[in-house]
Amino acid sequence: MASGKIVKTFITPLGKENPVFVQILGICSTLAVTNKLENTIVMTLGVIFTTTLSSFTFSILRKVIPARIRMMVETLIIATFVIIVDIVLKAYMPDIWQQLGPYVGLIITNCIVMGRMEAFAASNPPGLSLIDGLSSGIGYAYVLIIIAFFRELLGSGTIWGFSVFGDWWSNWAIMIMPPGAFFMLAIFIWIVKGRMAE
Amino acid sequence: MNADMMPAAIFFGAIFTGNILLSNYLGMCSFLSVSKEIKTSTGLGAAVIFVMAVTTLLNWIVYHYLLIPLHLEYLRFIVFIVVIAAFVQLVEMIIERVSEGLYAALGIFLPLITVNCAILGVSLFMVIRNYSLVSSFFYGLGSGVGWFLAILAMAGIRKKIAGASIPKGLEGPGITLIIAGMMALAFMGFSGMINIS
Amino acid sequence: MKKVGFFAERVKPVIIMAALTIICIAIVSGIHLSTQDLVIANEGLFLKKAVLYAGGIKLPETNAEINELYEERVAERGDIFEISGLSGDIAAYAFIIVGPGLWGEIEAVTAFTPDLASFVGVEFVKQNETPGLGARITEPWFKEQMRGKPFPLRMVPEGTAGASGEIDAITGASRTSAYVLQIFNSAGEKAEKLRKEGI
Repeated sequence: MASGKIVKTFITPLGKENPVFVQILGICSTLAVTNKLENTIVMTLGVIFTTTLSSFTFSILRKVIPARIRMMVETLIIATFVIIVDIVLKAYMPDIWQQLGPYVGLIITNCIVMGRMEAFAASNPPGLSLIDGLSSGIGYAYVLIIIAFFRELLGSGTIWGFSVFGDWWSNWAIMIMPPGAFFMLAIFIWIVKGRMAE
Repeated sequence: MNADMMPAAIFFGAIFTGNILLSNYLGMCSFLSVSKEIKTSTGLGAAVIFVMAVTTLLNWIVYHYLLIPLHLEYLRFIVFIVVIAAFVQLVEMIIERVSEGLYAALGIFLPLITVNCAILGVSLFMVIRNYSLVSSFFYGLGSGVGWFLAILAMAGIRKKIAGASIPKGLEGPGITLIIAGMMALAFMGFSGMINIS
Repeated sequence: MKKVGFFAERVKPVIIMAALTIICIAIVSGIHLSTQDLVIANEGLFLKKAVLYAGGIKLPETNAEINELYEERVAERGDIFEISGLSGDIAAYAFIIVGPGLWGEIEAVTAFTPDLASFVGVEFVKQNETPGLGARITEPWFKEQMRGKPFPLRMVPEGTAGASGEIDAITGASRTSAYVLQIFNSAGEKAEKLRKEGI
């Protein structure tokens, strides 16, 4: 396998084929956690872990699995890794686990995970699938982290819980509330797509 | 269990104040891709209402009568998604045999539903919020209706703006998200009107 | 239609699926069991921290120290926690109070002065409020403002509390604020009842 292919597999999901702003996948479960940077980072780590290992596992099994049950096997694999994330968070980071609530479980239905398994891992060897899963996860993570950064900054005047603006700043409550997430993502897509079109 | 949580309040709350799509962002993927046309939106919306109400009920029963007695609560993600997938498969098979018209209208949307995060989301919220059986059912039903309303409204708006000139980068998903944001703002106006607990 | 063998078509998928399910559940169960003690310890510790915080005691750094401090300062009598001061006298009485919130139950530890006339402090144990809005009830500024407040309490807009018995509500989370007020006031009533009956 040429190393060029590995690099290409790694780079594509970060920009040209970014799961969030190009393919518009996986927005469901995670817009909700982007109003605080800390939660977002833990959540995206969970997603990276899940996409990487699910793609890898599924790629190993891809030749054994009959077509009829492919979707079910995919779901089962994803669910297993998500439960592992959930249990680990519950045991080692109980505070964050409580705040994330059901959103950890919703990684299962995050379209990115399943999308990468269907589109890539189903027809590529394990090594490449691992890289593809990893970089899709990272491509997803950095977009969310940027959004969370601005939402927390404008909405609470803090970064990672530390106050940066001081008393004169009045919080834009809308940034923390649901509409803020929609607007932030729309603006982000606007900027990126505008740049890409040039 | 909380006696103050009236099923009716939960039902209307789930439609308006706590719309699963606009306040919890669940079911965004199919929302963004399907809302291009009113007809398909109606079909998918109807299928979501039905599946959501029934699977929430089923998952409640499974969780409280199977997982809790066996102390297997931590397996709920797998179990819930399997229940949902199995139910969707079953319904698809039944509709296919019973009514061709209905299958043409709803059947094609059913596979999309298994991966609709809103369905699993409702089941997970119901566990975390500790709803009773009746409340869970109405919560599932209300969330489905809320999702239906949101996607229908979005499909209507997108139809209206189809001919409008939109800044280049905003076409497609961008403008849809902005509209969704405004809808979320509008739906927030309902809060205070309905008291969910 | 081409006849596919019954085994390959029907039985094999089921066997593979069942095998995979068993493997997955075995892995998950293994991890669950190996972390179970930690989870239980976390939950216990969580409550201990809540009681100490509500009782106005500064929390030490490590978990072992928290456990030790709790043993030393807190006595559980029925559902009442007796928190003693440095001198050994009772410094506060605390109990758990549960009430409805916007999205689900809110559970909190409330601590009162020995004469059961005002709050020593509060700490939330369980809440499902909207992250970033209603969930701000768990932020220190909101909890700290309860210290020393007599009840019944009144909610005033964020940043305007001054008079005794007034607490700041949270902007954008009026409903959560109202529920929390209701919970704290019912805790106050319970404290008053305890005072009348004698503790």
